[in-house]
Amino acid sequence: MNRAAIAAAAILLAGVAAAAQSALQSKARALGIELRDGAFRVNGWAPPRAKPSGGWGTVFLVYAGAGKVPPLLGAYAVESGALVFHPRYPIAAGVHYHAVFRAPAGAMVTADFDGPPRPTNPIARVEQVYPTADALPSNLLRLYIVFSAPMSQGEAPARIHIEDEKGKILPDELLPGEELWDTSFRRLTMTFDPGRIKRGLTSNRTIGPPIQEGKRYKLVIDRSWPDARGVPMLQGFARSFVGGPPLRTPPDPQQWRVTAPAQGTKNALAIDFPVAMNYALLQRMIQVARAQALVQGAIALGNHEAEWRFTPAAPWAPGDYQLLIDTGLEDLAGNHIGALFDIDMFEKVTKTVERQSVTLPFRIR
Amino acid sequence: MLKGPAFRRAALAASAVLAVAIVAIADAPASLTGSLKAGRLQLKSAGALAFGPDGVLFVGDSMGGSVAAIDTNDRTAPKAPVSIAVDGLDAKIAAMAGVPADQIVVNDMKVNPLSKNVYLSVSRGKGPDAQPLIVKVDVAGAVSNLSLDNVKFAQVSLVDAPDSNPSARQDPRTTTITDMNYVGGNLLVAGMSNEEWNSALRSIPVPFKSAAPGATLQIWHDSHGRYETQSPVRTFVPYMIGGQPYVLAAYTCTPLVRIPVGDLKAGAKVKGQTIADLGAGNQPLDMVPYKKDGKDYILVANTAFGLLKVQADHIETYPVIDSPTRNPGTAGMPFEKITSVTNVKQLAQVDSSSAVVLIAASGAGPAYAPGPPVGPMTLKTIALP
Repeated sequence: MNRAAIAAAAILLAGVAAAAQSALQSKARALGIELRDGAFRVNGWAPPRAKPSGGWGTVFLVYAGAGKVPPLLGAYAVESGALVFHPRYPIAAGVHYHAVFRAPAGAMVTADFDGPPRPTNPIARVEQVYPTADALPSNLLRLYIVFSAPMSQGEAPARIHIEDEKGKILPDELLPGEELWDTSFRRLTMTFDPGRIKRGLTSNRTIGPPIQEGKRYKLVIDRSWPDARGVPMLQGFARSFVGGPPLRTPPDPQQWRVTAPAQGTKNALAIDFPVAMNYALLQRMIQVARAQALVQGAIALGNHEAEWRFTPAAPWAPGDYQLLIDTGLEDLAGNHIGALFDIDMFEKVTKTVERQSVTLPFRIR
Repeated sequence: MLKGPAFRRAALAASAVLAVAIVAIADAPASLTGSLKAGRLQLKSAGALAFGPDGVLFVGDSMGGSVAAIDTNDRTAPKAPVSIAVDGLDAKIAAMAGVPADQIVVNDMKVNPLSKNVYLSVSRGKGPDAQPLIVKVDVAGAVSNLSLDNVKFAQVSLVDAPDSNPSARQDPRTTTITDMNYVGGNLLVAGMSNEEWNSALRSIPVPFKSAAPGATLQIWHDSHGRYETQSPVRTFVPYMIGGQPYVLAAYTCTPLVRIPVGDLKAGAKVKGQTIADLGAGNQPLDMVPYKKDGKDYILVANTAFGLLKVQADHIETYPVIDSPTRNPGTAGMPFEKITSVTNVKQLAQVDSSSAVVLIAASGAGPAYAPGPPVGPMTLKTIALP
């Protein structure tokens, strides 16, 4: 027997001994329920080999609420000679558990447990709100609010306000309804009411656009917004901005200034746009290709989202490249390449579907 | 031809705009349940619900970017008229899920048309770790969990594969499903993206075929000064008008729009026509069409306006509203406010004369867009007014 095999045998023997000892202890133990490793265990009772005809729930139930409520969801198992209930979901903060065991012979035992206390330490704050510029077009369509920690859903209408110059809260600025979170619940997309942005719609004619050119506003996000753990933020957020002229020209890649770096470097390729573009779409709607393959690299934004920079993973090789631009790329007003947000799409639909991506060539020398 | 995510996406977009839709007005497939496979269904979230034939429940999973069809195996008709009254439903669900009741969010509610049992989609928690549950309240008021560990199901993805973006650890794109309905062999799904402005109605053939997400329908309102709006549909129901299948869709602030299902064909222009305006500063939540004393009505649950009973008799005769002149304005089909039931957060039809409502106080926020309801929640049947 080599050394490893001897060690393994020793561990095995020790395990058998421990199991035997545990079984003895179990028999000797008084009837009781313990919460260990997130599961509820009945000690001091040897379950029969076959489960009762009505299931283990006829002898052992755990409740996580007061009054006449259904029992906690979970699954039963017999482990090391003891009946164990594994809750479907982890033991939760702020929950009181009441476990009831009633042996078929009649002995009954109950036990009460508390989940950990609910957290109280604030950790979340607003990291950034896009667009970041001070002057925003009066037909601004979307805001992206980026938090430092996952947040609670369902709070946006109560916690986000747009105030006028006098600090009066303006109602009906943002589109109510489903909150558009990313899967991490750290980025929330808010939409200004498109009915007020689009020319020709009743609410645009009667109430006007949500942002008036030349007027000053303040975006306010309350500190009281609970994070995903239910704890308010470290601090609130406020940023003032001024209404600028509306954007009425669809983005045109021919108007972009492309600055190509020198070969052999890993310097960033830069595109300067005449106006700021949609923060989220800039992360994925422009790609760099060479010889029918995508170039890998990292994207960064500058100049209040009016500059797109691409730093390659490998140094630039000399030659011809292409920027692949998805025509879905939007400016701040939802205008996308080749189409205004509020043009009469119904009449022009056949003319706008001909191209779904455009390319801009550039050369590395 | 370059291969890359941009081109995949471009192809999808092209099909969305060009094809508009192919909606087969077919009868329900002979055996929808027979097309479902047993296994463990993993949902990331449970939102919009809809029932198809044979007690098949469709569940919209916005966080997972997919829709699931589940065999509820619940096809026994009730023996007596249904009368459900459950107080403290949120506390009962919280007790099953093992969380404080304030961590229970009810996302949608539908009634199984065969058994009349009520199904609710629920989030256990409010953040990214929230767990989805499907809760069943039977006609006797018993609350239970529809286990997804071993069910017959099929799932179809709504999104193309995430773009290769080395700088992003997690794809931030989601499609939030606002409502779903089974219409003539297709599942119609209303949703909106958290990035592109492309809210749309999508038509998915049922039974689901491979990973094909179906055609995207783009709807234009010819009531809005000829400008398309692409506003997100909040809630919609299938509806027969003049013997033809339509969907009636309600939008925020609160136009009611009829969309002819028969027009949803490849290459066709799809026009939605506004036939009622219930007023501004409001969101519609649910609609229940019904007939009473020989007349047609639609009961609409709203955030700010409560329950509205809309007269739908001779709905085909209502003129298209081209230019509402008042603000906040109402126009088109006449309606009355129902004050006998208030604080309705979910509304679903039980049968021709009754509905079930989920009643709770509104969460914080303005009346037109309050936060999630706060408990205690009451579930009860009401006679259709």
